Amino acid sequence: MSRRRQNHFWLLPAVTGVLILALWYAVKGFWRIPSFILPSPAEILRAGWQERRSLASAVFVTGQGALLGFLAAVGIGFLLSVVMAFSLRLKQSVYPYVLMLQMTPVIILAPIFVLWLGQGLPAIVAITFMICFFPVVANTTMGFISTDRNLRDLFTMCRATRLQEIRHLRVPAAMPYFLTGMKIAGTLAPIGAITGDFLAGSAQNGIGGIGFMTILYFSQLKIPALFATGLVACLLGFLFVGGVNLLHRALLHRWHDSMAGRE
Amino acid sequence: MTNPAPQPLVRFDRVGQRYGGGPVIVEDFSLTAQAGEFVSLIGPSGCGKSTLLRMLAGLAAPSSGEILVDGARPDPARPGTFLVFQDANLLPWRRVDANVELPLMLRGDPRDRRRARVGEMLDLVGLAEAARKFPWELSGGMRMRVSIARALSVAPRLLLLDEPFGALDEMTRNRLNEDLLAIRQRDPFTAFFVTHAVAEAVFLSTRIVVLATNPGRIARTIAVPFPYPRPADLRESPEFLQLLAETTRALRGVLPP
Repeated sequence: MSRRRQNHFWLLPAVTGVLILALWYAVKGFWRIPSFILPSPAEILRAGWQERRSLASAVFVTGQGALLGFLAAVGIGFLLSVVMAFSLRLKQSVYPYVLMLQMTPVIILAPIFVLWLGQGLPAIVAITFMICFFPVVANTTMGFISTDRNLRDLFTMCRATRLQEIRHLRVPAAMPYFLTGMKIAGTLAPIGAITGDFLAGSAQNGIGGIGFMTILYFSQLKIPALFATGLVACLLGFLFVGGVNLLHRALLHRWHDSMAGRE
Repeated sequence: MTNPAPQPLVRFDRVGQRYGGGPVIVEDFSLTAQAGEFVSLIGPSGCGKSTLLRMLAGLAAPSSGEILVDGARPDPARPGTFLVFQDANLLPWRRVDANVELPLMLRGDPRDRRRARVGEMLDLVGLAEAARKFPWELSGGMRMRVSIARALSVAPRLLLLDEPFGALDEMTRNRLNEDLLAIRQRDPFTAFFVTHAVAEAVFLSTRIVVLATNPGRIARTIAVPFPYPRPADLRESPEFLQLLAETTRALRGVLPP
């Protein structure tokens, strides 16, 4: 990357950021908006710093729920897709119900999960799982069924067994699709965990997740802290997406077109 | 190569092919080829050339008539035939050596034997240096060499090539034609070769089958008498040019108006 391009890479978003901040202060100052309606960025940072202990533990709790739900969705989603790749009949029998799960709003499922699993981490993980599961299954399945016909013929000609075909052809060929599903799931996982925490969280042991803290700060009218919570949730999201991107690079960078422009 | 064997290696007996209720792709196609022959199939698009190869490979069954390879119906479950695809058809996530190794691995050869055979094949196609590269790091011609090495790794009796050099520039193509004949000199195989390029067909083959379209059928068969090994400057000899002209004329005769 050239020096010039690198400057633009940092400079342009920074300029946008400064403009947004200026606009923020201008709007707040011009209409004299009080801080319990719209706090200034400085107030938000200050509140965030004051609440740093609660927010840090909230991020930890939510991150835990997000990670567990995400991993469960990725693992089970991948396995289900492999199984469906083995048999068209099985796929036709199961897929509509996978769709049904996706179509049912989580907000309705949440009380049911609380009923079954109680308030707290298990219910949050279940809700995150529900949100992350479908993108993984849909994308991975797409990858498994769109394997190149000539490559399939090659395996037929080599007298490959079904298992060999899955292992040496379908799974590697589906890898870019699987990772796309994982990327979408990665952006959804923190949102899922926060939603789960909002609907089914608890502050047992004195530690709530981000969703729970949102309710708490709102009820206490700690509005700058509420904004700070949003900022922290945003950072958690970036952390997840960054993690999946690293994985994407690690798995595909040697051969896949999405990594073109290498060296 | 011309002494007649009692049983031909390949026999098409009044083969027809149509998919479902669709148009007839191949009709009443009969042809025999002895072991050691190099048969080129040439003709306009839609004459069923690729379909004939797919049927020979056992990837599609004829809808009428019969094909026998070595006395039996072609079946991917029987070894001995290998198809080189139109594009190199390599697995992009496997390195060159792992691509060549694939058929050996799938049939369960022990690892050290695989290794040795892969090394031999890469030497044969002149790609020993590129063993650890990924397909995207290679030129089109190199990728095709890998594909040929992969096909030859199982030592097929019958090698089917579906326009393998169609996407390459003429210089690379000539070079690969010469290399293919050199490889065949060391590691003999019978070949069915589909192409659009007349010069290539004349340079490689013992026999050229000119196909007409709608439906695909044999329009003319041209014997190529040049002995092997064929030097590169055969292309400039009057006999070669005369056969080139004859084949071109035959091909013009079958082009749809």
